[in-house]
Amino acid sequence: QLVSALHNLTRHVVYRGLTTAEDILSLFPENFHQNLKNLLTKIILENISAWRNEAQASQISLPRLVDMDWRVDIKTSSDTINRMAVPTCLLQLKIQEDAALCRNSPVVSALTVELSKETLDTMLEGLGRIRDQLSAVANK
Amino acid sequence: VSSQQFSALTEVLFRFLSEPREVERFLTQLSDFATVNKISLGPLKNIVKSILLVPNGALKRNLSSEQVRADFIALGLSEEKASYFAEQWKLNSPTLTRLAVGQTLMINQLVDMEWKFGVTAGSSELEKVGSIFLQLKLVIQKGSRTENVCMELTLPQFYSFLHEMERVKTALESFS
Repeated sequence: QLVSALHNLTRHVVYRGLTTAEDILSLFPENFHQNLKNLLTKIILENISAWRNEAQASQISLPRLVDMDWRVDIKTSSDTINRMAVPTCLLQLKIQEDAALCRNSPVVSALTVELSKETLDTMLEGLGRIRDQLSAVANK
Repeated sequence: VSSQQFSALTEVLFRFLSEPREVERFLTQLSDFATVNKISLGPLKNIVKSILLVPNGALKRNLSSEQVRADFIALGLSEEKASYFAEQWKLNSPTLTRLAVGQTLMINQLVDMEWKFGVTAGSSELEKVGSIFLQLKLVIQKGSRTENVCMELTLPQFYSFLHEMERVKTALESFS
């Protein structure tokens, strides 16, 4: 019962985003033991940002990008052309399925994608537009 | 075959080579050619087949127009016609080469990319959040079907992704 009550208290504090001692202290009932109240508040305050970050990290979301690697290859020959020198890019994205669904062992899958120079240029154009839109939003 | 007929035939051949998917059209044009010039379609098709071997081989081995001309003469074509074909080859080879390169095998080719970004307002754990998320949808060609891959990136991840892609661009440019 005690653990459950404590759990509810901390969840409430994190949920509401309470950050000051006063806010937390005001949650306790009138006749609560003074020293215990202060001790609990102190402990909660110390842990609050860690708890918030963890809650945010384990939010439901689409699969998340966790890592990316790339390499550039030069294609020198194929069944239609004996000799050529065409550069191409291989991009490997490591994607983690929604952490909330997988509990302790989230599935990470690796996806390898090939891009030609033209595709890369178009992609960079798109990414540049995202960056511009992001700075427009940030500057508002 | 007169030289006029030959140049008309050559034109049909090169149009097919530049658009290899237009098989229907090619066959129609061939049968039109046969009717107009009173040649029977069967033998014409055989001749065309052997003629087409030359440009395909030339493309594969990256031959110059001189070499193409020499090949045709060796096959028994008159000098005039061989030169004409070689000329046409010179004109068309950049397009044909680009087409052949474009057909080169690509693994999981990226075909399209869509995105949206927004702000997470709240969640079951946190009443007010206010963090920015970016969602990317990549459309990938897997053999004959396309697959959509969706993923989410945080803002710092997006910036490092952009940075890495710019590095790739520099690498690709230094090799072409």
